[in-house]
Amino acid sequence: MTDSIPTTITPSPGTPGEGGGEGSPLLTPRAASPKFSFPYWHELILILLTIALFLFARSKDPTFLNASVQSELSTHVWELALLALPMTLIIITAGIDLSVGSIMALAAVILGLSYEHHVPIALACLCALLTATAAGALNGFFISRIKVHPLIVTLATLSAYRGIAEGISKAKPVSSFPESFAFFGQGTIAHIPFPALLFFLFALITFIVLARTPFGRFLYAIGFNPTASRFSGIPVARIKFLLYTLSGTIAGIASILFVSRRNTAKADVGLGLELDVITAVVLGGTSIFGGRGNIPGTLLGILLIHETREFVSWHYQNDELIPLVLGALLILSVLFNSLLTPKRR
Amino acid sequence: MTVLPYGVEQRRGIPMRRLLAHRELAVALILAITVIAVSIINHDFLSLGNFRDILIKVAPSAIVGCGLTFVILTGEIDISVGSLMGFLAVLLGLLTSPDYAHLPVSLSILIVLAAGTFIGFINGLLITFGRVPSIIMTLGMLTALRGATKVLIRVYANDRWIGNLPDTLRFLGTGSILGVPVSVLTALIILILCALAAAYTPLGRRIYAVGSNTHAATLAGLSPNRIKLFAFTLTGFLTAIATMVSVPQLSVIDSDIGVGFELLVVTAVVVGGTSISGGKGTILGTLLGVILLGTVRTVLTFLKLGTDATYWERAIQGGFILLAVLADQLAKRDRSEDE
Amino acid sequence: MSSDPLVQIRNISKSFGGVHALSGVSFPIQKAEIHALCGENGAGKSTLIKILSGSVTPDTGEILIGGQPLTTGAVRASEQAGIAVIHQESVAFPHLSAFDNIFVGREPKRFGKFFLDRPRMRRETRALLERLGESFDPRKPLADLTVAQRQMVGIARALSQDCRLLIMDEPTASLSSRETQVLFRIIRQLQSDGVSILYVSHRLDEVFELSQNVTIFRDGKHVSTTPTNQLTTETLIKQMVGRDLLEADSSFSDSASGALSTPPLLQVRNLTRLGTFENISLDVHAGEIVGLSGLVGAGRSELARAIFGADAYDGGSILVKGSPLPPHSIHAAIEAGLALVPEDRQHLGLVLPMSVGANLSMTVLHSLTSAGMTSGRKEAPIVRQLMADLQVKAASPKVAANTLSGGNQQKLVLGKWLATKPRILILDEPTRGVDVGAKAEFHRLIRNLAAQGVAVLVISSDLPEILALSHRILVMRQGQLAGELPRERATQESILSLAIPGGAAA
Repeated sequence: MTDSIPTTITPSPGTPGEGGGEGSPLLTPRAASPKFSFPYWHELILILLTIALFLFARSKDPTFLNASVQSELSTHVWELALLALPMTLIIITAGIDLSVGSIMALAAVILGLSYEHHVPIALACLCALLTATAAGALNGFFISRIKVHPLIVTLATLSAYRGIAEGISKAKPVSSFPESFAFFGQGTIAHIPFPALLFFLFALITFIVLARTPFGRFLYAIGFNPTASRFSGIPVARIKFLLYTLSGTIAGIASILFVSRRNTAKADVGLGLELDVITAVVLGGTSIFGGRGNIPGTLLGILLIHETREFVSWHYQNDELIPLVLGALLILSVLFNSLLTPKRR
Repeated sequence: MTVLPYGVEQRRGIPMRRLLAHRELAVALILAITVIAVSIINHDFLSLGNFRDILIKVAPSAIVGCGLTFVILTGEIDISVGSLMGFLAVLLGLLTSPDYAHLPVSLSILIVLAAGTFIGFINGLLITFGRVPSIIMTLGMLTALRGATKVLIRVYANDRWIGNLPDTLRFLGTGSILGVPVSVLTALIILILCALAAAYTPLGRRIYAVGSNTHAATLAGLSPNRIKLFAFTLTGFLTAIATMVSVPQLSVIDSDIGVGFELLVVTAVVVGGTSISGGKGTILGTLLGVILLGTVRTVLTFLKLGTDATYWERAIQGGFILLAVLADQLAKRDRSEDE
Repeated sequence: MSSDPLVQIRNISKSFGGVHALSGVSFPIQKAEIHALCGENGAGKSTLIKILSGSVTPDTGEILIGGQPLTTGAVRASEQAGIAVIHQESVAFPHLSAFDNIFVGREPKRFGKFFLDRPRMRRETRALLERLGESFDPRKPLADLTVAQRQMVGIARALSQDCRLLIMDEPTASLSSRETQVLFRIIRQLQSDGVSILYVSHRLDEVFELSQNVTIFRDGKHVSTTPTNQLTTETLIKQMVGRDLLEADSSFSDSASGALSTPPLLQVRNLTRLGTFENISLDVHAGEIVGLSGLVGAGRSELARAIFGADAYDGGSILVKGSPLPPHSIHAAIEAGLALVPEDRQHLGLVLPMSVGANLSMTVLHSLTSAGMTSGRKEAPIVRQLMADLQVKAASPKVAANTLSGGNQQKLVLGKWLATKPRILILDEPTRGVDVGAKAEFHRLIRNLAAQGVAVLVISSDLPEILALSHRILVMRQGQLAGELPRERATQESILSLAIPGGAAA
């Protein structure tokens, strides 16, 4: 019997260009369902919807599309957009974080109270960030070590963190922060608002991490099959802990931006924001069952939600319609998605 | 793959673990300790009036909690009950108030019951046969109904509060039959019916079966989709009932009724021992969970820690869930990591 | 009894994705007989069970029950025809009481159709349990009962629906010998009550003790149906195995004999996980293939998981090259050069919806980076090489792993661990569900790895496979090491006699 099968694996040296050119999309974990060979149809639909919205907006009220108007309207979106980044990663691992709005409130209250007690503003910001990170880490601890369902843990801390914020602030606002602090929420660098810069920087980093690093690939693997991931040596628990902690940190940053923009810190900061964030992420094509989703999709989800909201508010002068439209949009997009794809696992 | 430990071994263990494994007992114990401790500090706590106030306060959560217990038992979730309550409240106000539609109270009640049931049915339909994950479906419904409520108020009530509710409707909220408040009586009847249904009807057993092992349920010839559809529809119906007995207690109806209510009820159901992955839990547990969470504010008031103390209510409620899940984890003996 | 058979299985075929699980199987089951069904893993026994129970529709053929054709592919129809299955692992409702488990789906009702007839359920349950000689509290949730008691609940459920054919799939796999005797008594009693039993088991002693007729499957085909008293263990095994002991080939050079003088690469010392395995000590040397045999449920897979760091253990130690391995850490195990090809490739081995390439590179991806990012330049060649080396049949590395056949999926699992260049390789049922051709390929691969100095521990229920591959064979029985057989002394009979509870002493 001749043995023709070599079993030691030596990466064949060289042949540059071959296989390397296309980079890791060669191994893209986006498993195309057999029905659709084009894997980006969800993104395409979002783009078409956004274009349709813009066309409709132009026919109704051309001023809506003016750059100045758009830039003014955009100030509201950055906190939501920032929070959507870690939320995308978390939902890709089949998790969820309902507590981000409450972490924002907690961080805001810590920021306000410590400033009121004569802590320098920079240090107060640091305290807020640390608190938010610790709050996220507590979520992560319960989820990754105690192994409690993320929905339950973050539902509990959604109440608990806001409750602590209400408790220590006695629901009273703190305002009149120093001039310099306003920069975070209102300042610009080269005519670009600081929050926007921060968001696009983070979005770029998250995009690269998710699409181009082993860590990103592991997130998809965990979302599809945490057990097989663990058996492949992926540190599943550690990664989950990291994600929820990170989500807390980003919520802290969002909180600082918000407080700076409104110049007031109160325990109702970020109330209900978690739902908007999840809506944006799921609308962007991330599967609530994990394993599927990407940053460009989330960006489109944020864009669509933001523009829909602002247009309804701008043109109809009717903020009440917004949740109705967004809720319907969320349900219909997921319904459409699940009716088109074969049976879920 | 996993070898289940033999039952005999499973039941061995320290008494504390066994206690924790019976959540109803643990919650009842916490409740009892709380009540005793608070009444020692403040004797007024044990008054009949206070007792009555607490019961009136928890009645709506208990009613909706029954439906939600069934939903969670099947392994799904419904977070739209709060905004459904808000929507139905405004609907009820607009229909009955002499300032607006001024329909007969009985007809209005029928319309509201139908609306609640229908929305629950839509939730269930899209979740089961439309295959929309329940968390997403009811999140969307939560958002959409909140918007619809505001639109209703804006279009029909010009953004004003709805007041001036007819007396017959008021009776549902504030009236008493034989000294028992209508809302408490309603809650009691529904709790008994649901507890009986869970334990003594085929449907009840099948709800547990679907949540315990969906695959085996299908093999046993059950239709998990139809059973889940029922649970969601029932939750919609019960939310309408809860609206009916709680909203007329208020002097005016605004668009903020029921904000955060869904979280309170889900929390109560989970604290009461219903497993979020389905198959395990009781109506009694839910009742105890509802009372425990509903008592927090009253307790804080009676402890005379100053008015500021009540701000901690939500923090304590959140802490209760974390304690409950920790207890669950301690009660578990199985170390196998993979299901 | 010369009356018509209760069940006639006629020309049943079924294939899954091109693999013939059953081809043209026909045999009868008589009224009130215990009919044993034997065959190696993958012989098609479980497919036949699924067809009989209605959860799988056959491609061709028909089944007659008492002369009436059975509507295939419908659980309800099978149930109404009186077919009930007791599965290996309880697939019932762990949270529900024994009562409810017995009656779910067909509850007796009273007061119209809305209420359970609890008294009747109690009465019937009591009668059923009495008939089974059981006295546990039927109000307890199933999860609180012992495995044997759960099995009784399954049997009670079958009896409550007037079952005529009871199918038992490896019913004694997790039972103690005393519990097994109780089960046998019940089976015989059922038989005398007129119930036919299709008894599926690896345990030949049980087959001889219980059955009147034995049907043997091999590779999806019906080999024979013979009265049990006309068979001996030898003839039965021979028919099951069919071929001569799978290429126990001459080319097999005993390269490990030299290796044995070197210190062992993997040492397991008194490893214990309560309720699962106890006091296991074993050595594996570089270049050696050690077979780990035993019946299903003997604790072999659990031992493998513990060595690999996937589960915690209660006592003992694991040493690699003489230095202790931290317990319950897959990371540490991989660092030390361990690799585990698990039995359950769908749940533990692969991330099925992900691409072939992503699965193959998963274990080494962290090292295939440039500037922190995954480098296609580094990843693609490794994936290509692995696919070529293992002859993975896939259109491209981009296709999802779940589009591949079982054998090719198994190659992916092996491949992703070969990528780590392991020094110690544990294989749990490496060729289960793999067709004969691919099986030989796997065996060649495993021998090559050993020849290159890898220490290999192979777990397999496939006796010819164990015999063909191993230098030494360890046999586990009910969580303990029952004995060790050197290659020269190992035969199917000697292994089985160690593996079967009540068999030869170690």
